[in-house]
Amino acid sequence: MLRRIYYIVDEAFRTVRRHKGLTSISIVIMSLSLLMLAVFLLATDNALRLVSEAQNEMKMYVYLKDGVSENSAEGLYQKILSQPEVSEVRFVSKDEAMQDFREQLGDDSDLLSTLRTNPLPNSFWVTPKEEFKTRDAMVDLAGRIEPLAGVEEVRYGREFLERFASVLKALYFVSAVVGFIVILSALFIISNAVRLTVISRRKTIEILKLVGATNPYIVAPFIIEGAFQAGIAAVLSLALLFGIAVLSRGVIPDLTFFSPEKSVVYLITCVVIGSMGSFFALRRMLQMR
Amino acid sequence: MTELTEPIEPQKDDRTVIGVYHLTRAYGDRNALDDVSFSIGNGEFVFMVGPSGAGKSTLLRMIYMDEYPTSGQVVVGPFVSTRMRRRDIPYLRRRVGIVFQDYKLLDDRTVFDNVSIGMRITGASPYAIKRRVATLLNDVGLYHKRTQMPSSLSGGEQQRVAIARALVNHPSILLADEPTGNLDPDSAEDILRLLFRINSAGTAVLMATHDHSFVKNFGQRILHLRDGKVLEDHRTGLVGNLSDRLETVRLERERQRRVEQEIKRQRADALSTRKSE
Repeated sequence: MLRRIYYIVDEAFRTVRRHKGLTSISIVIMSLSLLMLAVFLLATDNALRLVSEAQNEMKMYVYLKDGVSENSAEGLYQKILSQPEVSEVRFVSKDEAMQDFREQLGDDSDLLSTLRTNPLPNSFWVTPKEEFKTRDAMVDLAGRIEPLAGVEEVRYGREFLERFASVLKALYFVSAVVGFIVILSALFIISNAVRLTVISRRKTIEILKLVGATNPYIVAPFIIEGAFQAGIAAVLSLALLFGIAVLSRGVIPDLTFFSPEKSVVYLITCVVIGSMGSFFALRRMLQMR
Repeated sequence: MTELTEPIEPQKDDRTVIGVYHLTRAYGDRNALDDVSFSIGNGEFVFMVGPSGAGKSTLLRMIYMDEYPTSGQVVVGPFVSTRMRRRDIPYLRRRVGIVFQDYKLLDDRTVFDNVSIGMRITGASPYAIKRRVATLLNDVGLYHKRTQMPSSLSGGEQQRVAIARALVNHPSILLADEPTGNLDPDSAEDILRLLFRINSAGTAVLMATHDHSFVKNFGQRILHLRDGKVLEDHRTGLVGNLSDRLETVRLERERQRRVEQEIKRQRADALSTRKSE
């Protein structure tokens, strides 16, 4: 068994060695089409990261009526905290809010010195649990907090959330469609690149059949070759993408590259695509006797 | 073997390597082969002779089951054409050596690697491969060229490599489709000698050729094929030993050449005398 594997691998790399030109051409073709895929994946990755960052900052502000006693504020605090969606509640007093505001204004804080009373209310900053950072859950939660005694208003960026949800939906849809097309075309291009090597080795396949090689023995070297080429092409495309990412930092400062884990997943995906491409290219050959 | 082969005709023979029973192969409305029946016994040597288009290559393809008969049956050892599954074919091919007019060698590997390919696919050990291939290359007289590429060999040498490759898995029969078709007379003779030698070591040989005069004096069985039918299946007389017979072929060729030359000369003479009159 091990010996067979050795023969098959030997067969695969024999072609790589003998047909260096053809192999490099198909690696170049592959890496360009994989680059397409990589650019798409990086864009999606960054978009999704932005989305999740926005989601993490999702907070609800509960403003209290003036003159609510400390006791009832304490009761309110407990009630809000006991809601199942809520993970954290922080009390922000009028003074604290004013202090904050002053700092935000910085040099313009002179403006505030004319104020005699502090117009900012006491408030609770409510952080929902991770799984409830959605539009529907927020609406629901606000609906329950608003009627509580002492609450003046609940704010959570409703319109923003609504727009956000539809943008998110569109984003998922578009990336699914584009991703499908990009993967399909990468598969198609790779399959054609492999077909080049298959055609150049039609005679080898014919002879292998004549001397009694089984289909797996004939196919396996091509699959290995395809996987090998796709692996190198994937590394190349990743390097190219990195170059592009570095160059475009000036335009898109927030652009982050794939994490090492994601890079590995990408490489593995490419190798799988490469072997599948080989398999499709060979399928017709297998029909021969 | 017997439980697998139930030929339409009751001429079962344990010594049969190839049995062909009422085989017909149609392409469109044309029958490339028409009700062909014969069998080849273990260790037999058979020439299949006929003009091109007589169905020789088609018949050979039926035997190594590159194609199936339209009707009738081919039996090769335990393999029966009407019961073949696609995945059985490789195992049939390992028991049948095949040699072609155009050698079908791989230009991207050495002589040694070309011969060893048939054993590698069976997963034989490198040691066994090395020994077997060395023996075969010695047999065909090319061991000293084992590291060369096929393109650096002469046609006759390439065909000998192809024959060595065909024998690597100890087939019970060697099929040769016009093995001397691309060769000069001397190399053709060498190949024929080699095939006889292989046959005398016990391997059955079926050699297709269009050149009747080349093979008719060897005392072997000759199967005449014409228009897809077996015209004649007979054994020719034996004249002297192999060298004598090859000598006869040479002599006959030489005489034929002289006669043709003489005819040409006479024609030219006749023409020039007519002109001068």
